Amino acid sequence: MHEILAELEAKRDRARLGGGQKRIDAQHAKGKLTARERIDLLLDNDSFEEWDMFVEHRCTDFDMDQQHVPGDGVIIGYGTINGRLVFVFSQDFTVFGGSLSEAHAEKICKLMDQAMKVGAPIIGLNDSGGARIQEGVASLGGYADVFQRNVMASGVIPQISMVMGPCAGGAVYSPAITDFIFMVQDSSYMFVTGPDVVKTVTHETVTAEELGGALTHSSKSGVADLAFANDVEALTKLRHFFNYLPANNREKPPVWPTEDPADRIEMSLDTIIPNDPNKPYDMKEVILKVADEGEFFETQVSYAKNIITGFIRIEGSSVGVVANQPMVLAGCLDIDASKKAARFIRFCDAFNIPVLTFVDVPGFMPGTSQEYGGIIKHGAKLLYAYAECTVPKVTVITRKAYGGAYDVMASKHLRGDANLAWPTAEIAVMGPKGAVEIIFRKDIGDDEKIAARTEEYRKKFANPFIAGKRGYIDDVIMPHSTRKRVARSLAMLKNKNIENPWRKHGNIPL
Amino acid sequence: MLKKILVANRGEIACRVFATAKKMGIATVAVYSDADRDALHVQMADEAVHIGPAASAESYLVIDKIIQACLDTGADAVHPGYGFLSENSQFRDALDVAGIAFIGPGKKAIESMGDKITSKLIAQEAGVNCIPGYTDVVRDADHAVEISAGIGYPVMLKASAGGGGKGMRVAMNEAECRDGFERATNEARSSFGDTRIFIEKYIQEPRHIEIQVMADSHGNVIYLGERECSIQRRHQKVIEEAPSPFLDEATRRKMGEQSCALARAVDYQSAGTVEFIADADMNFYFLEMNTRLQVEHPVTELVTGQDLVELMIRVAAGEKLPLVQDDVTLTGWAMESRVYAEDPFRNFMPSTGRLVRYAEPQGEGVRVDSGVYEGGEVSMFYDPMIAKLITYGDDRGQAVERMVNALDNYYIRGVNHNISFLNALMVHPRFIEGRLTTNFIADEFPDGFNADLVVRMILLLR
Repeated sequence: MHEILAELEAKRDRARLGGGQKRIDAQHAKGKLTARERIDLLLDNDSFEEWDMFVEHRCTDFDMDQQHVPGDGVIIGYGTINGRLVFVFSQDFTVFGGSLSEAHAEKICKLMDQAMKVGAPIIGLNDSGGARIQEGVASLGGYADVFQRNVMASGVIPQISMVMGPCAGGAVYSPAITDFIFMVQDSSYMFVTGPDVVKTVTHETVTAEELGGALTHSSKSGVADLAFANDVEALTKLRHFFNYLPANNREKPPVWPTEDPADRIEMSLDTIIPNDPNKPYDMKEVILKVADEGEFFETQVSYAKNIITGFIRIEGSSVGVVANQPMVLAGCLDIDASKKAARFIRFCDAFNIPVLTFVDVPGFMPGTSQEYGGIIKHGAKLLYAYAECTVPKVTVITRKAYGGAYDVMASKHLRGDANLAWPTAEIAVMGPKGAVEIIFRKDIGDDEKIAARTEEYRKKFANPFIAGKRGYIDDVIMPHSTRKRVARSLAMLKNKNIENPWRKHGNIPL
Repeated sequence: MLKKILVANRGEIACRVFATAKKMGIATVAVYSDADRDALHVQMADEAVHIGPAASAESYLVIDKIIQACLDTGADAVHPGYGFLSENSQFRDALDVAGIAFIGPGKKAIESMGDKITSKLIAQEAGVNCIPGYTDVVRDADHAVEISAGIGYPVMLKASAGGGGKGMRVAMNEAECRDGFERATNEARSSFGDTRIFIEKYIQEPRHIEIQVMADSHGNVIYLGERECSIQRRHQKVIEEAPSPFLDEATRRKMGEQSCALARAVDYQSAGTVEFIADADMNFYFLEMNTRLQVEHPVTELVTGQDLVELMIRVAAGEKLPLVQDDVTLTGWAMESRVYAEDPFRNFMPSTGRLVRYAEPQGEGVRVDSGVYEGGEVSMFYDPMIAKLITYGDDRGQAVERMVNALDNYYIRGVNHNISFLNALMVHPRFIEGRLTTNFIADEFPDGFNADLVVRMILLLR
């Protein structure tokens, strides 16, 4: 009996070594942790329950039957993050370059199926050279099996991809479908076709880092939500991020106990709006002062900086925040910002996370680049997302809300539940200057008259009270009370229950 | 007693004066520029008058606007604070003409002490120790070299109309003397519009020690102890304390009596400060007299238990000083740090912006004199001082300890601040020993400041 037990231990040790000590050292030399080390850091101590440690591939072509490594390049299992169940797969670059075989894909599918059955999130730690060429079409089939499950799970359980190494070719479509993609700087990259093929076909010379590195994707393409400095920071922040999410779409987000009073007054917010209407201010300050303990997990920090998205907590519960950022492009909405916010809102809606919107938007960005780029369709995405959304929606207009952008940014008309405005709010069809130039066209050229008309328009319309008269906003609030009013609104909306008319699915302008 | 005081100033000193005026039940008027619309001093006062655009030259320095504000509000007295128009005799004249009391000294005192050359002559006459030097105006660079050779290097070239560290140059030899003369002249021209330069012996290892005097209109003059302000960076004071860790009682008395003699010689009234330089042998030499309330007055207030602003107001109202020299006692120790919106890690580059977070330290023996609040602005138009952090203790050690804790508990976000630098000074072994000279910062931080030094210091002290 004793020998058999010893044999099990030996087999386990063999599996834990993955591709062998030399390859482990090579991984470390690149500044990367091994697949198992990553799981160790990500999950609570001693909480990891591994499955399929002894799975091996079944390929016989190209002498593959001479090489077997238990686990076949991916480690799957479940554990806890801060006590909450999570399913994880971690690709092992030391085994066949982390490449995906039929068996490797089957393991991931097994994991995803189990996660769906019990309703718990999946985290994928991607570090793979791509398809295992030797397996041929079976490898492609394996990918597709994973993609199908990503789609089935979409909106049912949260799915997070942490790209910690290469992820190229078809492999990118799995992370692409997941809810959030995080990357590690300098060691990870994602692209559909790599630099070599690009050079041959389009004759562009570009490095892997430039084409699809962490910084490219977190700032240029917006494919990645965040880029972290190294494996350790990535996994630590991921644990942090995980705390905001519910386990599945039937649960409310977890409550994180806090002593921060819900009615905390912030006098400094009374002076944040500058006297000059064209002077910007940092909307993040508003978010931080409203949030529990000033904590804000921002997503897509470096992309479409004219809109801010991320998670905070109010009275311990997660809340998704969308806010125009006056410091970038004057807070105008454009294609990138519309897409960024729309996806974020739909994630929150799928997972019972209320949406808190701070509005200071002078309109949509003009220009041929925006028009040819399809701002019409992309702007519509944002409007669609807000309108479709059935989670509680609380909106605070801090300054400008002009034109169509006023409608789009979670207005009362799009089923905003609580719409509040600061006294500095300007809810109007357009800014005073533009309006006057149209209405009083005949006076153009007479500077004094125009100035007088502009001032008249500003006094009459650039305030929240016209909207207030019609009930388009529920109240005008003191900036210093924002947290208190938002918290009360959210508390009142806790049991909000509305449904959309049945359809197979809507047709959001993609 | 005065009925309504207008403070021709802003920020922390305006708030300071308003606090005492309120305590005395006197009505208050603030003046403000565009940039100070939402400032704390405006909120503190009973009334506020808008006096112009942000630039000081178009607002706080415009005599007519201040006078008009007084007339419009019926203020019967003006407190000028420090800087701005506080030592401007034209302003004082204009107030006289308008029949408004000036809470400060008379014209004679302001004019004579405002001119460095004249003030030295008067000081010598009054029997005040003076630095060997040449008190007449220097004609040109050659003349400067001639004089310096006579005094003996090193020498200090100073602008006669100067102050606050401007228009000063040290010369160790003839070449530096020529160059220094040109530079000091240029700086004097652009800062004060007055190019007169004079030269004095440069005291090595000097300590800056000043005497607080207070005089009424009945001929009573007293001194309220000294302040040591040796910790300076580029001639700007950073840390001040009362009493001085260096002086002995005899020297204190001598300096105090000479200061009073000088005050009497110019019929001084109200608060004033006589600045001296002391060498390692406790010889002291007159530098200049500031005919106003000084930034660092709180440390004197804490060790003497007197409200200097209140005394100034009483004197201006014609009252006799409520205390005589024998009533003045120095108890305990007070320390002041000037908290500035600057980045000590980048050569003290000034920083401006919104005070996103601002929470002052509190506790026993901690006093903060500030003119800002959370959500307020530190603008680029004025001196970037955030506040004065003052601590008081039974002895120097306790004052320092309380200062270190208070600095730690000072929560400022949104602008850069020099708190880490102030802390580094407070925990510096040489500072703790009290071995101060005006070269302290230049000596101990020759390569500027970086966080490295703070860490090293902490390890040193363990």
